[in-house]
Amino acid sequence: MSTMVRGRPLLYTSYEAEMALLNTRTKRVWLGVLLIIGAALPFLLTDATLQTFARAMITAVGVIGLGLLTGYAGQVSLGHAFFIGLGAYTAAVLGGDPEGRRLGFGITELLIWLPAAGLVAALAGLLVAPLAVRLRGLYLAIVTLGLVFVGGHIFNEWRDATGGPGIGRSMPAPTLFGYELGVNGELFTRDQKLYWLMFAVLVVFALAARNIARSRVGRAFTAIRDRDVAAGVMGVNLARYKATAFAISSFYAGCCGALLYVVPGFLAPNGVFNLEVSVLFIAMLLIGGVGTISGAILGAFFITFLPTATRLIPDAFPFISASPTEFPNVFILEQVLYGALVIIFLIFEPRGLFGIWLRLRNYWKTWPFSY
Amino acid sequence: MTASVATQPATATASGGPPVTTLATRVRDRAQATPKQVAMRQKDFGIWQEVTWASYWDTVLTVGHALLALGIEPGDRVAIHSENRREWLFTDVATVAVRAATVGLYPTNPAPEVQYLLSHSGAKVLVVEDQEQLDKALAVLDECPDLQRIVYVDPKGIRNRYDHPALLSWDQFLAIGAEHRAANPGAVEQRMAEATPDDIATLIYTSGTTGRPKGAMLSIANVEFAIEVLVERGGFTGRPPNPSDLVLSYLPLCHVVERAFSVWFNAGGGVQVNFAESIATVQTNLREVQPTILFGVPRIWERILASVQIGLRNASLFKRANAKLWLKVADRIGDTLVRTGGNHTVGTRILYGIGWLFFYRALRERIGMRRVRHAASGAAPIAPEVLRFFMGIGVPMHEAYGMTENAAIATTNRPGRVKLGTVGEPHEGVELRIDEETGEILTRHPGVFRGYFRDPEATARVLTPDGWLHTGDIGEWVDGTHVRITDRAKDIIITSGGKNIAPSEIENALKASPYIKEAIVIGDRRPYLVALIGIELETVGDWATRRGIAYTTYRDLSEQPEVIALVQRIVDEVNARFARVSNVRKFRMLPKELDHEDGELTATQKVKRSAIAKLFADLVEDMYSGREGGAGA
Repeated sequence: MSTMVRGRPLLYTSYEAEMALLNTRTKRVWLGVLLIIGAALPFLLTDATLQTFARAMITAVGVIGLGLLTGYAGQVSLGHAFFIGLGAYTAAVLGGDPEGRRLGFGITELLIWLPAAGLVAALAGLLVAPLAVRLRGLYLAIVTLGLVFVGGHIFNEWRDATGGPGIGRSMPAPTLFGYELGVNGELFTRDQKLYWLMFAVLVVFALAARNIARSRVGRAFTAIRDRDVAAGVMGVNLARYKATAFAISSFYAGCCGALLYVVPGFLAPNGVFNLEVSVLFIAMLLIGGVGTISGAILGAFFITFLPTATRLIPDAFPFISASPTEFPNVFILEQVLYGALVIIFLIFEPRGLFGIWLRLRNYWKTWPFSY
Repeated sequence: MTASVATQPATATASGGPPVTTLATRVRDRAQATPKQVAMRQKDFGIWQEVTWASYWDTVLTVGHALLALGIEPGDRVAIHSENRREWLFTDVATVAVRAATVGLYPTNPAPEVQYLLSHSGAKVLVVEDQEQLDKALAVLDECPDLQRIVYVDPKGIRNRYDHPALLSWDQFLAIGAEHRAANPGAVEQRMAEATPDDIATLIYTSGTTGRPKGAMLSIANVEFAIEVLVERGGFTGRPPNPSDLVLSYLPLCHVVERAFSVWFNAGGGVQVNFAESIATVQTNLREVQPTILFGVPRIWERILASVQIGLRNASLFKRANAKLWLKVADRIGDTLVRTGGNHTVGTRILYGIGWLFFYRALRERIGMRRVRHAASGAAPIAPEVLRFFMGIGVPMHEAYGMTENAAIATTNRPGRVKLGTVGEPHEGVELRIDEETGEILTRHPGVFRGYFRDPEATARVLTPDGWLHTGDIGEWVDGTHVRITDRAKDIIITSGGKNIAPSEIENALKASPYIKEAIVIGDRRPYLVALIGIELETVGDWATRRGIAYTTYRDLSEQPEVIALVQRIVDEVNARFARVSNVRKFRMLPKELDHEDGELTATQKVKRSAIAKLFADLVEDMYSGREGGAGA
């Protein structure tokens, strides 16, 4: 018995087919096309642009994680920067040179330190989760905000692990099955290899997130988001699923943090894992589209490429300076833009960039009618 | 339960002749040949659950054994009171297997009609769908002496609440069957082997626009002839219906047409049957199933057309302009197709190909007709404009004609030889003549029924000794090949001026407007024609909303002066197309939507003229009492 009847996309003969990760042919085709384009980009772009892409992709992993917690499960968290930092330092410590001045275990194998970074962050997330069972909305946001300050203090003071402010430490050069990804090779440059690494990580994490969202766990998240009391009455174990949401989200954040500083190769703890980072991630999520995986990716790319775009402004409008000491300059403009974008999207397009796409898609989907 | 497919092949009949092919043997043979292919689908909890031929036959055997265990003898009747669902087919085929006759009851039948049908047919076992139908049966149980057992399919509201010795749940029913099957293996197969062509396979009660319903007896030979004509020779579809075809089963299965398209096409041709959730979800289900063969009564086609028109009118500006353009093109294509009998010319093919990209493909996908290779309308007259619309957007539409008494076999428009306004050419192997004096259509073929059950008088009125069936329809030949039906003989209006007028032509012209749902033209032995008109709530409501006309109920909307003016315009347009004597001089709005339960419609949604004339006598008299002009209530 086939689970789909040929040429009849709406005729679902099993729940498996209806719930499938890629339940329509259009989605399968588009995923294939994007995979091919994504894999081919390193042959077309300069190394500098590839670095920005790599950063956007690994940021997207963190935004997807925040999206699972905030967009799907409805738990507002301002502590995302803490979990990202935790992942970054776990990776740095595990991969660090054992002979060096800082704490290091010399495990450069990516397949070990990347999951480890995620797991350490996930454990921290689990510790925070009981708070979420008790608190809601703004109160939860404030409590998670506390994490950022606690984390900031630890990162600054634990010099053995972090190098301390102003000094920092280098990030491990990733190897995969002994193959060096962090150095220029004969065939490919360092940036090309790192791009492909981040691309692969993003694809795996994005598909995994979609899979979580469509499954029993994802449905429980959505139920909690829409009304946690009602979800509890329906038999959703609130404590368990809120903890799961925090753990998964922190795992994503940890993995994001572990790879985020691999491209620059260096990490100093002054002001990198503070409230601003948390807010920036929330901004990406809001601008991209809350409650969707594609939206999270869109948002991460949009905000990561925004500075690249604003740097072009002084060429067009000479009265805006490219120097940080003059006024008005592009850096101020950038900050203003972040704020303005969040406000504009919240008011006019609450579903974010993804909402714009949805509107376009529905226009053609309902053709030749309007509904 | 293992699928013991045909443990005992039918070798010889009791009389020693060759084994008789029946619906049951056809299902058995399909289960042997293609056990894993899909026989039917039913949507439960949002998923189309599939039934394979092997499990279909296995269940039929169990149900057959259950019927044997309940004491069903050859010639007994088993009644089914249910919407279309798997259990309908299981019971129907199992009943044929044990040589009994199936009696279908319309889900909308009210309790008094249920009482009449059950007691008149003398059904021993009744299968009901749910609590609603069970309550009707229990209310009249005392007046149905033959009825011994009632099997209910859906236990909601029944289990643990009803305590009646005659009741059996479907699960208990199957358990009885399984037990009997274990104790008497092969009993059903043995009974099947004894079948003769003269066994009555089903009693189909005609809806009866005039009197009590009459039970037409269709024998196994009748049904086999219908399968031979429609399925094996592709009487409707050209290319015979086959296992790659899908149909949506949504009209009542107790009606001969749906039985043909669902049961006969299924068992005879292996067509996959998909049961719609209900009549209200037909359009959604059509989109999901995208059937390849689609039959509809005029009301269905009119409703789909109306919903397309409303949808397009409410579309955004660009979409509206696009639709307007391609509908105009469709009009032209439709005109050409009407001229050529349904064959594309090079010009229409190119036009349609371009339109396919911009409009027709998407439109057909949305209304669930993207893959329809044969669409048919029948069971009542339809306005040619409606057919032309569907032909224009690329749905190959064919009007067909038949009735219960001739197993739905009479005439059809064949693919490529369509003549709009006619019901087509007689099927191969069908004798059809038109009485020269009365103009009545007569048919004779092996599908003509065996008579009305327990009503030899009525049988004698329609069946001549040499096998001709009086259809009661007045018709004429068109170009010597096609048949055009004027009207039902008893509906022909003779005005006091002595003119013969066929009201259905005028009514259909009126109903072709999306705003008019019902039109009943009256004028027998009267000086001029008048009409009772019922509006289509959906479209007129939409129309009124756009013009800011406030209304509350159906009646209130009907009585709005603007709505009456709208209807007046439609009536004037229609009048302009007919001769002066056929003009509707006055009309009144029906104050309510006509309904089966109130006795205004038959179970097949046909208007009961006599009942309407009586119920709304005051409105009719009002139109003939000297008060001049004007319309409205």
